[in-house]
Amino acid sequence: MGSVSEPSRSAPTQRAPTQPGLPHPGPAQQRRIDASMSLLVDLSTDALDPGYAAAVARRQAGGPGERARWPLVGATVAAATLVVVIAAVQTRASAPAAARSRSALVAAVDRQTATVDRLERTIASLSAEQAALRDAGLESTTAGAALTRRIADAELALGILPVSGPGLRVTLADAGSGSNASLVQDRQLQSVVNALWAAGAEAIAINGERLTAQSAIRQAGDAILVDFRPLVSPYVVTAIGPPVDIETKFGASDTAARMRGLAQLYGLRFDYSRAGRLALPAAPDATLHYARPVTAPPRRGPS
Amino acid sequence: MIVLLAVAAGVSLGLVLQPTVPLDLQPYLPIAVVAALDALFGGVRAWLEAIFDDRVFVVSFVANVLVASLIVYVGDKLGVGGQLSTSIVVVLGIRIFSNAAAIRRRVFRA
Repeated sequence: MGSVSEPSRSAPTQRAPTQPGLPHPGPAQQRRIDASMSLLVDLSTDALDPGYAAAVARRQAGGPGERARWPLVGATVAAATLVVVIAAVQTRASAPAAARSRSALVAAVDRQTATVDRLERTIASLSAEQAALRDAGLESTTAGAALTRRIADAELALGILPVSGPGLRVTLADAGSGSNASLVQDRQLQSVVNALWAAGAEAIAINGERLTAQSAIRQAGDAILVDFRPLVSPYVVTAIGPPVDIETKFGASDTAARMRGLAQLYGLRFDYSRAGRLALPAAPDATLHYARPVTAPPRRGPS
Repeated sequence: MIVLLAVAAGVSLGLVLQPTVPLDLQPYLPIAVVAALDALFGGVRAWLEAIFDDRVFVVSFVANVLVASLIVYVGDKLGVGGQLSTSIVVVLGIRIFSNAAAIRRRVFRA
């Protein structure tokens, strides 16, 4: 058994080296320095099927002379080409299907977004109707009228009424280049909004998304989400309040100073200006999840 | 000459018949493609080095396709089909690359 496998084992050494630049094992058969990576070395040195060299050796050794079977070679080449072409055809055939399912998904998303928008408009008009009916019902009595005013004040503070008035308009925009530091981050937008609240803003919206006490400004990948709605640069923060007062206080705030520094450093756009009349929409939703109205007056602690 | 005719025949057969691969055989198609490309490049290199042997060419093509498919089949049964087909693509891809480099050296002498 061992004698049978002898020639095949010694065959690689008979083969002329295809890459003369490679280090040769000396006659002493010393261990190759890269012996532990023999798989990778063999892959690149034995790229050509060793069978070709073996066939040459066989022919030189005076083996049985074989006529070239060209039809067989032709059939094999045709089969190989056929496989490649089939793969190409298959890919081409399935590409439109993939694109179709993608565009179908996009269309479904658009449709659902439109539905959500329509339902939100319905909610808004129904709430307006409800409020009008409530006001009409309360209008008749003095206590009712006072209640109506309190409700209106509370709704203003909640942000569920559209409002208008003078104020400040702050614009932030990404710089042109694509690096991460040149994009407006959610933290910067948050601190601008907080500085505006601190400067005396009564109502704030970003790109037409009204902020309430429950609003969240968060980053998801490259997009900034305000109340789960993705916004794109430029971000226009509109704040209603005493214009001169807000501008002075906001301009002197730490946030504005930091944003001016970032604008200089990374080319972000940051500017603000007073506006005579800003119109802010209502916040879409003011659902309270945990808070419950207090029915009885809270008990005083021991005095 | 025969080889060029065979390439033309293969392309036209594929384009005219537009055969659809059955779903069960779909995972083996990329493997078959890489094995076929490997055999073709190996054959061209051997022909350029004047050691082409028809028997080795045919047998190596058929055997490569069969062995690669068998490995992927076994991998599918063991739940590692994707990884094994990746490994086959890597190994045969390296071979294709080295053979193409040898052809390039022989043709352009660079």
